[in-house]
Amino acid sequence: MRKAIWILWPAFIVGGLAETLFFTLFDPMDLHLFGEPVGLSRVAVYSIGFFLFWAIAAASSAFTCFLQRAADEINRCPLPVAGRPPGCPKRDDPNAAC
Amino acid sequence: MAQPPPVNPAEAFEQPLYEITRKIYPRAVHGWFAGWRWTLVWFTQLVFYGSAWLEWNARQAVLFDLAQRKFYILGLVLWPQDFIYLAVLLIISALSLFLFTAVAGRLWCGYACPQTVYTEIYLWVERMIEGERSRRIQLDHGPVTARKLALKAAKHAIWGAIGLWTGFTFVGYFTPIRELWGEVMVLATGPWETFWILFYGFATYGNAGWMREQVCKYMCPYARFQSAMFDRDTLVITYDGARGEPRGPRSKKADPAGLGLGACVNCDICVQVCPTGIDIRDGLQYECIGCAACVDGCNQVMDTFGYARGLIRYSTENALERHLTPRQALARVFRPRVLIYAAILSVIVLAATASLALRVPLKVDVIRDRAALSREIEGGMIENTYRLQVMNTIEAPRRFELRVAGLPTLAIAGDALIEMPGATARMVPVRLRVQPGQAAAGSHKIEFQVLAVDAQGVSVRERSVFIVR
Repeated sequence: MRKAIWILWPAFIVGGLAETLFFTLFDPMDLHLFGEPVGLSRVAVYSIGFFLFWAIAAASSAFTCFLQRAADEINRCPLPVAGRPPGCPKRDDPNAAC
Repeated sequence: MAQPPPVNPAEAFEQPLYEITRKIYPRAVHGWFAGWRWTLVWFTQLVFYGSAWLEWNARQAVLFDLAQRKFYILGLVLWPQDFIYLAVLLIISALSLFLFTAVAGRLWCGYACPQTVYTEIYLWVERMIEGERSRRIQLDHGPVTARKLALKAAKHAIWGAIGLWTGFTFVGYFTPIRELWGEVMVLATGPWETFWILFYGFATYGNAGWMREQVCKYMCPYARFQSAMFDRDTLVITYDGARGEPRGPRSKKADPAGLGLGACVNCDICVQVCPTGIDIRDGLQYECIGCAACVDGCNQVMDTFGYARGLIRYSTENALERHLTPRQALARVFRPRVLIYAAILSVIVLAATASLALRVPLKVDVIRDRAALSREIEGGMIENTYRLQVMNTIEAPRRFELRVAGLPTLAIAGDALIEMPGATARMVPVRLRVQPGQAAAGSHKIEFQVLAVDAQGVSVRERSVFIVR
């Protein structure tokens, strides 16, 4: 949950900035999709555009999070299953990396 | 050597993964600063909920019309080409924030931030329905009863209604609010409008009802960098440790000096009123949003004990250390950092105001026709075609005259008058002709001039080229 917020929240801000900048410079009515005019209302293009920007920014944040994991988060848990502390999310999975 | 305290393995394991948060039940507080906060709540919300309904020139006074790509702010109409003003506005806001922060810390957070304002409103609703702090704690820890369910349902219904109204108002700044209201009444809002009303409504409900101080602690970027604007002369909320310590309970009649105690009665009121749940007596912390609830709370306690107020107060690090008088502390406001922020801010505000005031309410772009560069027509004349993107940026209709210069005998074929309704943009096709033999083959620089017939000084020149083959 906390990781999800770490990924989604900064992406929301950056997505909003990208949206403002992009649509200040480009009018949705001038955009073409595979050679055809988009054919949606401006408000629809703004909204979809925002979610696209948000998703792209979130993908970048998620990738950062993914690469940021330390070795012990990637390696198999060295503790035997029985020795794992209560509350460990990988407690019941012998092959889990923690 | 002291042994480190034993660590519960579960706790040690969990902490890096999840933030263990305990619910904070802020106690209600009354006093000078709480009064100011409520004033600001009323002011900001009257502006926010109210100005969407104001009219100006028979349209919404403040409307960021996304569908038409025009921003109306009272008499001003801004177009995407005026993006620079938005950028300048952001710079002005940022610099003002720097200035206020350098002088008096997190004034924004404590009194004006929407997160604070809506949390204050939502807390008020919670208090009205569920009662004071202790009753809320009791209710939350008690068994599920019909009364508990009813209270919770009522609270969430009112929170939800405030959230929806906020979402509706927010969307009403981007799409005309009166039409939107008509659509809402018959449940006929467009899909995206419906979505954004619900989205913003839910965000308000979630942020002010549930997340509260966690937004400030974990989500707010300002909370993380505001300390860069602080120095030892910044006004912050401080606990006067020299006067307060050693803290301890005592009876109202007791003489603290005789008991070897300071002024702090250790009543914990400052912790209970804190919306972020910190103890200000531990010193300045990034979680402190500068709301001064602890100042109000502590002053009330000092009053009941008959001690001087201000054990917790707005002060500066230097003032506390060097025992400066308020007047001496105030004199330190005028220090280089503050003066530099103020100077840059004034220059930008002045420049932006001047530029807005002197803005010519007409924009012209010349686009050459790419298909036919140049053609010869009857009588051997050479003709070039152009498209002029003309924008009349004020709300009054205007009549413009088009002129061209740069080549002998260069003339406009057809009408040189352009009629434009208020706040509109139009593509105007223009054909220019030159008599035979007046221009050598090649490209020649020419200049278009568009000037208002009915207003002095409204004129724009744009350069282009005339091509002769």
